[in-house]
Order: sequence, then C-alpha cells, then structure tokens
Amino acid sequence: MKINNILIANRGEIAVRIISTARRMGIKTSVIKTSAEPAAMYLSLADNVYDNTENVSEIPVFLDIERIIKIALDTGADAIHPGYGFLAENPYFAQKCVDNKIAFIGPSPDSIYKMGNKTLARKIALANNIPMTIGSDGKIPSENEAVRIARRIGYPVIIKAASGGGGRGMRIVSKEEDMPNMFRLASNEAEKAFSDPSVFIEKYIENPKHIEFQILGDTKGNIIHLGERECSVQRKHQKLLEEAPSIALDDQLRKEMGQMAVRIASAVGYYSAGTVEFLFDSEGAYYFMEMNTRIQVEHPVTELITGIDMIEEQIRIAEGKELRYSQKDIKFNGWAIECRINAEDVQSGFSPSPGKIEQIIMPSGDNIRVDSGVQAGSVIAANFDSMIAKLIVYGKDRKDALANCKQALDKVWIKGTKTTLPFFRMLIRNPRFLDGSITTSFIENELTSYHVNSEYEEMLAAWLATWLFVEENLDESNLKINFEEAKNISPWLLNKRISRH
Amino acid sequence: MATQQKKLYALMGKKKYGFSLPLTETIRIGKRKYKILIKEDEKHGTYVLWKNRRYPVEILQSRQNKFEILLNYVSYSFTIETPFSLKRKQYLSKEMGQVEEEKILAPMPGKIIEVLVREGTEINRGEPLLILEAMKMQNEINCPVNGIVTAVNVKPEVNVVKDDVMLEIRISQ
Amino acid sequence: MDIDGKYYKAYKKRLKMLEQQQSKEKVKKQHDKGKLTARERLDLLLDEGSFEEVDAFVVPDTLGIEFGKVEKYFGDGVIAGHGKINGRLVFTYAQDFTIMGGSLGIVHANKIAKIQEMALKMGAPIIALIDSGGARIQEGIASLSGYATIFNNIIRSSGIIPQIAVIMGPAAGGAVYSPALMDFVFMTSYTSYMFVTGPNVVKEVLNEDVSFEELGGAEVHAKKSGVAHFIYDDEENTILGLKKFLSYIPSNNVENPPTVEETGKTPDINNKLLDIVPDDPNKAYDVKEVINNIVDKGSFFEISELYAQSLVTGFARLDGRTIGIIANQPKVLAGVLDINSSVKGARFIRFCDAFNIPLLTFEDVPGFLPGIDQEHSGIIRHGAKLLYAYSEASVPKITIILRKSYGGAYIVMNSKNLGGDFNFAWPTAEIAVMGPEGAVAILYRKELAEAEDPDKLKAELVKKYRERIANPFVANEKGFIDEVIDPSQTRKKLKTAFKALTNKWVEIPSRKHGNIPL
Repeated sequence: MKINNILIANRGEIAVRIISTARRMGIKTSVIKTSAEPAAMYLSLADNVYDNTENVSEIPVFLDIERIIKIALDTGADAIHPGYGFLAENPYFAQKCVDNKIAFIGPSPDSIYKMGNKTLARKIALANNIPMTIGSDGKIPSENEAVRIARRIGYPVIIKAASGGGGRGMRIVSKEEDMPNMFRLASNEAEKAFSDPSVFIEKYIENPKHIEFQILGDTKGNIIHLGERECSVQRKHQKLLEEAPSIALDDQLRKEMGQMAVRIASAVGYYSAGTVEFLFDSEGAYYFMEMNTRIQVEHPVTELITGIDMIEEQIRIAEGKELRYSQKDIKFNGWAIECRINAEDVQSGFSPSPGKIEQIIMPSGDNIRVDSGVQAGSVIAANFDSMIAKLIVYGKDRKDALANCKQALDKVWIKGTKTTLPFFRMLIRNPRFLDGSITTSFIENELTSYHVNSEYEEMLAAWLATWLFVEENLDESNLKINFEEAKNISPWLLNKRISRH
Repeated sequence: MATQQKKLYALMGKKKYGFSLPLTETIRIGKRKYKILIKEDEKHGTYVLWKNRRYPVEILQSRQNKFEILLNYVSYSFTIETPFSLKRKQYLSKEMGQVEEEKILAPMPGKIIEVLVREGTEINRGEPLLILEAMKMQNEINCPVNGIVTAVNVKPEVNVVKDDVMLEIRISQ
Repeated sequence: MDIDGKYYKAYKKRLKMLEQQQSKEKVKKQHDKGKLTARERLDLLLDEGSFEEVDAFVVPDTLGIEFGKVEKYFGDGVIAGHGKINGRLVFTYAQDFTIMGGSLGIVHANKIAKIQEMALKMGAPIIALIDSGGARIQEGIASLSGYATIFNNIIRSSGIIPQIAVIMGPAAGGAVYSPALMDFVFMTSYTSYMFVTGPNVVKEVLNEDVSFEELGGAEVHAKKSGVAHFIYDDEENTILGLKKFLSYIPSNNVENPPTVEETGKTPDINNKLLDIVPDDPNKAYDVKEVINNIVDKGSFFEISELYAQSLVTGFARLDGRTIGIIANQPKVLAGVLDINSSVKGARFIRFCDAFNIPLLTFEDVPGFLPGIDQEHSGIIRHGAKLLYAYSEASVPKITIILRKSYGGAYIVMNSKNLGGDFNFAWPTAEIAVMGPEGAVAILYRKELAEAEDPDKLKAELVKKYRERIANPFVANEKGFIDEVIDPSQTRKKLKTAFKALTNKWVEIPSRKHGNIPL
C-alpha cells in the first residue's frame, strides 16, 4: 500500500523533520494548527494545514485520540505519523488508526501495549533471557508493600511508572524512611502523566551509563539494529546530550547487546523503528531497562553515522515494504553528537524559561545538522516542551566531533529566552565528559555548577551593570528635563487654574 | 552626583569589580585595554562587541541599583555600590547577621501539584519543597538553604505566576 | 572694605566655628551607623554649588530650661535653605543627627517653618530629610508647639506645592505626622524607622517584644502599613530615586509637570501588546508589561510598589509628558479591589488631580474582594474613597478596559458616567454586571437544576452570555465605551486622546470643600 498523504499528529521540530522526509519521498503532509501556537514554523512547511484553533476542548488536540482520527478522516490522510510523545506510544490510538483504515506509522498496537506496560515488558524480557535488574514482579498496590519489596531487593531502589517513560514518575529511593513519600510522589506523577498511577520497583544501579540500541523491523519479521547511542548526559532522567556510537562498547559487546535488542523486539513481533534501552554498569554488565516503541528525539545521531533516514524507513515499513538492509549492510562511520538546546534556565536547576525567540541564528556546515521547529518570532510556550533546537555535529572520530561541537556551540545565537547553551559550553570543556567516563549521575552528583564560568565575561557583565547604572542615574545629560515647556499653558486653562486657587 | 562619586563597584555575592568614574568604555586586562561597543541590529538584537567577539546581551532586570544581565547566555546579578554604600553594607551585615530569610519564588508560571512541607518543617539544602507543574513537567522545587519553613503561601491546584512567593524559609546556620 | 577689620574677622571666625562644629568624631559616628551626615545628603541631593543656606547661625533657645541641659550649637540641629535639582528651585531642610540627636527645639522648628513658608510663597517643592530623635525634652511644651506649627504649614501648603519627606533615621512620636501629612514618603532600609510609640513602650504596655525594624522599619511601612511610598537599600539610591521621582511632578498646582525627552523608543504600533493578555480569562498576567509596552521607554515609575499590590499606581510619560497610571494587577489576587488598594488608588488620584497630572486607568478587575474581614473593616467606606477620588478629579481621565470589568468595580474604575473623558476597550474586554458563571447561576437556576446535563447547559449559557452581554461591543453600541481599539495601536490612540484633552477644564460648584468619606 502506497502512502500518499500523512497527517502529522505532532508539532515542533519533529513535525518539521517528518515533513522534510515526506516531501523528498513525494508524499503530501497535513499538520494541525492550534490556538496555542497559531504561527508555528511547522505550519508553514506542510502541504495542508488543518485549522483546529476554533475547537474548544479541555483536552489539548495532540492528546485527543478521537479528534485526531476525525482530523485524519477530514483531511483525507491515509497515514498518521505521531512523532514522539503521547500518541506515539498509545496502543489504543494505534488500534483506532487500524480500525479506520489509516496506516499508523509505527509498530503494531500489540507491541506498543506489551512494551509500554513495563511490568509486562519485564516478564517478556525475563522469558527471553535478557539480562535484567532484580525488581518487583508486578505493580505495587501500597506504600507498605513498596517498603516490603524494597527491603527484599535492598536499597537503593528506583520506582518507575508502569505505563511511563522519559523519566516522569521515576524516583530513586536510597533509604527506607523516604519510601512512603517517594512512592506517593511517583504514583501521583504517573497518574498525572500517563493516567495510570501504578508503579513498580527495581534495584537501582548506581552510576550506570545509559546505552540504547536503535532497531528497525519490518512486517515480514526482519529485524536489525542500527547500533547504539549513549545518553549518559541526563538530569533527572531528561537527556541533554546524546552521542553515537558509545565509547564504552567494543565491537564484540556491540554485537552482543545488539543481538539482545533484536531478540526482545522479535519476542513481541516488532516492526517500525524502536529503541531498546540498557543500563551499563562500571563492570561492563548491562541490564535491559525498557523499550521505546517510537522514533526518539535523539534519532539523528544514528542517522549521521549509518546514513539511514529513519523516518523514511518508518514510512516504507508502514507501506508494508520489506527492509532494504540486512544486519551486515549496516556500517558505522564516524561520530555524531546531539545537544538539546532547550529554553531552560540552567542556573536555577534547569527550570523552564518560556518566552519569545527574538533572534535565532544556528550554525551550518558539512558537519552540522540542525533540527528545529522554531524561528525568530516563535514563542516557546509554557504549555509545550521547552525544545528550541537540536544541534547535531559530526566528526570522523569522537575527538573530531567534540572539536566541531565546541566550535558550533560558539556560533549559536539565540535571544529571547534563557537556554541550555551555558551548560553545553561548560560540558564540552569538562575533562570527565571529554574522556567519555561519565555516567547518568554525573550532572547531579559531580557538578557544582551547571554553566560555564568565564572570568572575562563576568567582568564584562559587571561593567555593563555599572554602565547601565551610570546611564540611568548619574549621567544627567541623559535625562533631558525641560521645565520651560511645562510653563507653556494655554491662557484658557491658566486663567481658570489661577482663578480657582 | 556624577561629579561627586569617584568610583563605583559592581557586587555579586563575594565578587567585587571596581570602576573609576567617569566610566570609560574599555576594560583593562593585564596591560591591554579592550574597547567595549554596545550595538544593536535586526539580525542579532542587542549585543556587545569586545575583544573581536560578538556577545549576546539581554537586560533581564534593572531595579534601583540591581541589575540582572544575561551575557552570552549566562545570567549575572549585580548591585552597584558607591564606596560609602559598600561600607554601609559591611556594617549592616555585621550588625544584622547574614540574610535571614529565603523566599522561594515560582521560577515560571504553573500549577502547584503538591506541597511537601508545612509551616515549621525543618528542611535541608537540596530537599524537595513542592512540585510545580509547568511545560508538561512536574518540577520539583528544591530547598536552596538549610532552615525552617516560616510561611506556606500556596496549596495544591493553585496557579502561580513567575516570581510569586510560594514559601518563606528562615535560614539556620 | 577693610578685610583686616574686626567685624570681618569675626565673620570669618564664625564660619570656621560652624565648620569645626561637625567634628571628625561626630561624622565617624554617623558613618559607622551606615548613615551619611546632613550636609553629605544635601550635597548628593542638590545640583553642585547650588545650595544656599539660611539660619546657619541660629542657636537654641536655652531660656527657661529647667531640666537637663541644651548644648549651644549653631543651627540647632537642622540645616535649611534652597537649592536646585536638575536646574529647578526646591526648598529643603535636613535634620542633623550629630547635633543633639537632631532633636526638635523651638528654634529648630521655627527654622523649618520659615523654609516652609518661603516654599509656599515661591511655589516650589519642599523636601524634608528627616533624621531626628524627636521632641527636645528639655524645651518641653515649646518643642511640641513647634511641631504644631510645622504640621499647620504642611496642611496649608497641601495641594499647592509638592511636599516630600525622606526618612533617613528615626522619626518617632508626634514627629511621624510631619511625613504622614506630606505627599510622598521615601525611606532607607535598615537605618530609618517610623512609629508613634516605640518598642520600649510596646513592651511596657503590651508586654510584646518587637525590634525597631519589625515595628517601624522601611520594609514594614512599604509592605504592611503603606506609609512609605518608596524604599531603597541605601541613602545614595534613596536620593537618586527621589531626584528621578521629581522629574515627574510640577513645582506647584498652577504649572504643568516638566517634560522629558524620550531617550528610548516605544513603537506607536506595538504588536507585543497582542501577546500579553491571555485568552483564558482565568489566567494571570503582569499588567506592568502592558504599561511598559505603551508608555515612553523606561518611564514607568511605580509608587507604593510593595503595598496593596493588586492595584498598580505610578507615574509614566507619554510623548514626554507625565501621566498618572492606575492599573488592576491580575497577577496579584486576580486584580481584585480591597480596602488597601482602594485607599492607595484614591490617594494617588488626588495627588495627580491636585498637580495637573492626567490619569490613565488600565482595567482588569473581577470585582471587590468578598469576605467578613473586608466588610467588617469597612470596604464600603474605603471603596467609596476611590469612587469619590475618580469622580472628583478634573484632570483628563482615560480608561482602557483590558479584560474583566464587572459590577461595582466597573463603575468605580473611571467608568464613562463617572466622568471618564475617553473610555476605550480592547476586544478582549468583558463588561457586565457579573461574570458569566455567576450570572448564569442566578438567571437560570431553575433550568440548571432541572437539566439532564447541567454542566453542558451551563457551558452553553456561559457561551451565550459572553456573546450577548459580556463583551465590549454591547457597551460600545450603547456608548459606554467610546471605541473598541486594536491593542497594538493603544499608544498611538492615547497620544492623540491626551493631546485633545490638554486644555480640559471642569467647572466645579463653589464650596468650602467636599466631604470625602474618610
């Protein structure tokens, strides 16, 4: 079945990203205009814009399954690409697409369900001999039960949302007295984020690296992996920088872990693009963490080192075509690094810093790719995620990529909101990051400051503050007070004022 | 006043930078002086040209003698002091001790999900105070100091705007 | 003249004595408290070399002192005279804490009274730099009568010349009424205090422990009592702030405020204004952002910033001319009017009216604050002050309704029939007797109770109410709104409107004075 018109049920940079591949493939795209950002960049690039600004609903459109299906039918779309996010990992939505004879560009509802339910996923992994951390056998009904299980596993443990992903609903608990409170928090957050309060507990691996494998599978049962990505630079489970490949793996381990990733994907009859995440401890042991059944934010680093357009493969697979590559066709060339430039204030703990992008100039060049959904004038709204742009840099090896990255970061120009740039400028100079030895606890446990400290820049800022003070207060020539014009009052008014007093 | 002050200081925490008046548009590093140019154009917005480099600059706050400046994406908060006000500051901090109270301001607009402390709760630096939902994220607001919660101004489901005082904490040493 | 003559020598000697009177030890003592001396303060305040002192050589009246001792210093603890600020004549006096604690004796009082009378005759602002231990106990009743004279003079000058008090040390007991009667009070944090009865008396009478700072420090008066309109961290900044403030106000009630050329540029057509007010009527925003995107760049100067924050008051300039701004602040308590904000607004409006400063009102108000506390504390009386002040003001008055404008609060906030000269509304305005939810609940109580799906019916009715009643177009059709304007064009509209109102004059029936519900 040939796909002719894709409804992109997402916004921001991923919508822009999907449009660019679809256009190259000669496929029309439809996007949805919302009242929250009626002038967003992705709208100007699509072939067809569905205006949803008049729709008043409690549920934002990108979370509204029935609405999206209706829009797809209205726009005559024969396929939906959900991007990443809520719709991408919702088996009910995928099933709805199937029911309405719309191709869902992603895996089957069944694989989404099996991998999306973390307790079920653990069972499947266990049955397939995938290395795993010890943990609770299923959902945990109560605080007391949580305390009991954690005592059995031994602290530290991690609480995770059963239907979760992406860090939300996760809590690390290192001592028993914190357990009841943390359990409530995690459950509460899981309920908020995924409408499912159930959580489970696992042994917490201290100071691991985060290594994930990209896999691709078709509907004919062929599954391959496209190598790994290392995403150890993360804060509170939010990834900030990703690279491919990982410095921690050799060819042997890559092959072994890749096979594990393929094995678990096969176990659920997986097709389309997916990611199998592992924790990798200091001894070189690895543990299956979870599988994300969608395209990932960090997919471009894999694309750069394999030369494969993952969105294109997703679309071809959704058309029912067979994979064009077998495992031996996959070659890894060079090194790629992605920096997530978000509207966040690193100096106050990466808190969101919404605002209007006044100016944005991103670097360009042979070794640079920028995926972005914003342009000058775009608003980073408080009700969406804080992504401004992904800066993806390529090099022939890690050292080369790091050097290119450092240069590229200095060329980024963004005005209007605070950004994560000072963090990356610090990171790219940090010896622990440069030698590749950092783990996921690096940011929280090892850094005392999250931003670059430049003595000269601080001095310049001090001068600027002083200059502003002088301009505003001491430079009398700046305040041109005119007392004469004030005395110029029309006789009509003046006489009346005087006669009243 | 312009003619009376000979020197001003930009103060940030324990850091102090002195500038003689009238203020020249240069900064000296070692023996060399580097000219500072403040410019603005459509493509870049406001920026500073210094040492052959273009630095993005935004004035985030300017209030009395307090300035928050975002230079090259890093924010700096300075107060501008005269030699006398600097001495006065030293006297006052000796007299009254350190800043006794810490106000926890909402870092962004959002909704309070949960308040984890009560009035009178003893709390240590880094411990969670409350959960604020904004930008689709539940943000844990952590305590920046060691102290005792003296006021809780928010409750769950309440919306806050940026810089709302959510909690007040008396700092203990 | 014979410069060796004995009178000339005596004159030189007296000058020297005056200079030496302020010994190094005394200066150091004052400095060690973090305070500048009276002369240093005047140096900062006035244009260089412009100060002309009067009565420098008066000495205290020691006649009839029966108790204690009065030291005979020149000037009697206060420095008085006139000078210029940014080229404009002002009269000023600075109490000198280094001389008998700046205490007020009869000579000290007469000196102040003299300057007050001169300022009134000349139609020039008067600035009081206050740093005084209070009444001079040794002089007894004479000292108290001195205060009375000063208060009388302030009241006589009220509404004719601007009178500004700058508190830079203690102001206690009866002395506090001198600043209280003036138009504006500046305070320096940590080193100035104001209270009628001090911590010692509080302890004695009520057995409550309270520090100077907690009882009457700058922060308390800026946030809780509303006595201080401006507070600053140190004396230099206090004086800088005062000088900036003066650039907004005229010298007297006949003149206009000075004009100040705009240094930055606020665009006449400003699209930023389209993004500030959220579509969701329950979402807050900062009205100061609206203000700053309309008035001359950087010209908004807020008054009583920390007090009754649900109403923003302050001066700004439009095309170089001063205007007084009153704005509901949706960011604080949804911009509701309560007792404190009503009184704050009323007093500001009356100052502007007295000194020919046109008024601009930004309205987004859900109503008056409900509650037992407010009702029992007299929101009726106090709300009436705001109403009275608005109606009484005869300066040009313009209102812009940004969003909510409901019920009594609509009437109060300079509505058309209260005397608004131009009443504009943004298309986002909601004008009605009450908000949609409340109105629907009352008008369709029965239908809602009987409905199968009351929530659905309610939503439909609310939608209908917004379409039929709670919008600016109905008010526009009836003439209560002169024009619904494009938010981005607000500055342009205002410039033209205020220009047209320049020569506004309202005949007021002759009377002794009105009876504002105090």
